[in-house]
Amino acid sequence: MPNAGSSFLAAVWAILRKECRSEWRTRYGLNAAVLFAVTSLTGVSFAVGRLTDRSDVLAALLWVVLLFAALASLSHAFVREVEGRTLTLLRLVASPTEIALGKLLFNLVFLTVLEAVTVPLFLILMGAPGPRWGAFLALLASGSFALATSATLVGALISQTRGRGALFAGVSLPLLLPVLAAAVAGTRNQWAGGSAAVEVRMLMAYAAATLGASLLLYDHLWED
Amino acid sequence: MSALRETSVGVVGTEAVRVTARALAHRYGPQRGLEPLSFEVVAPAVVAVTGPNGVGKSTLLKIVAGLLEPSRGEATLAVGGRSVLAAERRRCVGYAGPELSFYPELGVTENLTFAAMTRGLPAPAVRVRESLDRVGLSRHGTERVAALSSGMMQRLRIAFALLHRPPLLLLDEPGNHLDDEGRVALRAIVAEEGRAGLVLLATNDEREWRLAERRIELSGRGLGHSA
Amino acid sequence: MILRVGLWVWITVCLVAAFLWAPLVPILGDTTRVLYFHIPSAWVAVLALGWSMLHSLLYLKRRDLEHDHQAAGAAEIGLLFCVVATVSGSLWAKAMWGSYWNWDPRETSIFFVLLLYGAYLALRTAIEPAERRARLSAIYSAVAFVAVPFLMFVVPRIYFTLHPDPLLNTRGKVDMDPRIRAVFLAMLVGFTTLFFWMLSLRVRVARLLQRREET
Repeated sequence: MPNAGSSFLAAVWAILRKECRSEWRTRYGLNAAVLFAVTSLTGVSFAVGRLTDRSDVLAALLWVVLLFAALASLSHAFVREVEGRTLTLLRLVASPTEIALGKLLFNLVFLTVLEAVTVPLFLILMGAPGPRWGAFLALLASGSFALATSATLVGALISQTRGRGALFAGVSLPLLLPVLAAAVAGTRNQWAGGSAAVEVRMLMAYAAATLGASLLLYDHLWED
Repeated sequence: MSALRETSVGVVGTEAVRVTARALAHRYGPQRGLEPLSFEVVAPAVVAVTGPNGVGKSTLLKIVAGLLEPSRGEATLAVGGRSVLAAERRRCVGYAGPELSFYPELGVTENLTFAAMTRGLPAPAVRVRESLDRVGLSRHGTERVAALSSGMMQRLRIAFALLHRPPLLLLDEPGNHLDDEGRVALRAIVAEEGRAGLVLLATNDEREWRLAERRIELSGRGLGHSA
Repeated sequence: MILRVGLWVWITVCLVAAFLWAPLVPILGDTTRVLYFHIPSAWVAVLALGWSMLHSLLYLKRRDLEHDHQAAGAAEIGLLFCVVATVSGSLWAKAMWGSYWNWDPRETSIFFVLLLYGAYLALRTAIEPAERRARLSAIYSAVAFVAVPFLMFVVPRIYFTLHPDPLLNTRGKVDMDPRIRAVFLAMLVGFTTLFFWMLSLRVRVARLLQRREET
């Protein structure tokens, strides 16, 4: 192979572009996810009211809403391929690692868009105090990265099960608990005026570890 | 068409594609999908795989394409004297089968361009046009896949298989849904590809296996087993 | 047969010793005896998790369904011991701390192990055929293996700050009475042997089921 590295990146890039284009044309996944996030956010906000002076509770609620929105939508990237029976096509043109990385990047883009809608709305509706933006955005970014790496791998597994989407939340949750715990703690600290550096580092380390393991495991994803 | 063909693995001469099956078998759960089988085919050739329904024709093609791990035995592919691992098969194999589906929200050209770019082919637009020409789909390039008839879809599958000019072509029931014009195009493609490379046809349609110079007949032995 | 009888006698002797021979720790009182069931169960729950993950990795490497039988069997039995450890711990927590559950670090980590077992086994029930089930659940197991150290590190850190619970130090294990230690260690050996015996049965059943499916 003359330039395996560049053809690898080209394949990942092509898959990411295809995902974005398909999603843009159908908007099925994103609409559902945003609607879900806004619904759960409204439900929480309506039920508990404004919580300006309880930033500890706010941190937990924010991540619970984000976690559930992610759990409701991140398996979509793979389930859609299986249900549309297009996985054969994909497997014929790209290696499992290329496919999974393309999907991972798409899930990251997806989460970014989802958060761009949900987070400002959350801050306004819940009457949250102004976050320290540097730390807050770093937490969102590293938290999303960690969420996406685990959720992408579990999504690939789940799409091959009988119930498809049904098991996704339950099977992902154990892997996402460390992310939830660290992200909530960091967000709470940043609202309390402390530093979130440890939590950001922790989230990045978790994302890197699961991504590393995933890269070793992707090759085994599809064999039948 | 010259005897030398360019592929993504380099320049390959004639007689350079060899598919070997050794005690190859597969089962889906309790039922057998493919009875143990051994054969060897070498390019240039057109080989038909025939046999009753459920005997494992599609399974055999999927294993050769690297889409399926066999339960027992092995199917090896050698191109230019070098053996190609299952993980790298997609670069040298063109596969078209009935379960191959395309993205309905994308157009015909968009689907093929996606495939060409993901494969890392040089000049993807040229390859796509060339493939569409060969199956007679050029005028339908901008149509959404969701709007295609089943005959058009079948042509698109064949175009997809030809896209990267593979030395080995695996066609599972290629004549499905094709009209007369489509069958003429298919016959031309099979003849042309079989002159230089290797074509494996899984079919029970006499019109198709007549195109082949050799037949691998899968027997139905073992089909009577029930769980 | 000899092993089975031996195991039965061993655990019975341990039980009798736990109630009649070993003394009670002053503050803990009668709840001392939970030690002989609770900690060995928790140990087996963790051992089984490790065993299951090890065999999952071996399956991915060797593609021998025997490793899948081991991984699945260990997870099923591990879940059982995990439930025993959780319930006995929870009862003890009620007696000593006043509530069944308060998310202290230990409770959190056993809960995580419980969830992991549940998710793994739920995933398995949803996949056919056997090879695909073995492969996909092994992948899941391998990723979970990476997650475990993070949870052990991050959760205690976070929940400790939420629930600063000084009662954590009153387990009185520091100066363990030699008789308590003897019974405890014997019970540990007994439970570990029990686990491997149950596992061997489970694996035999799995092998038979596989053979029946193949013919």
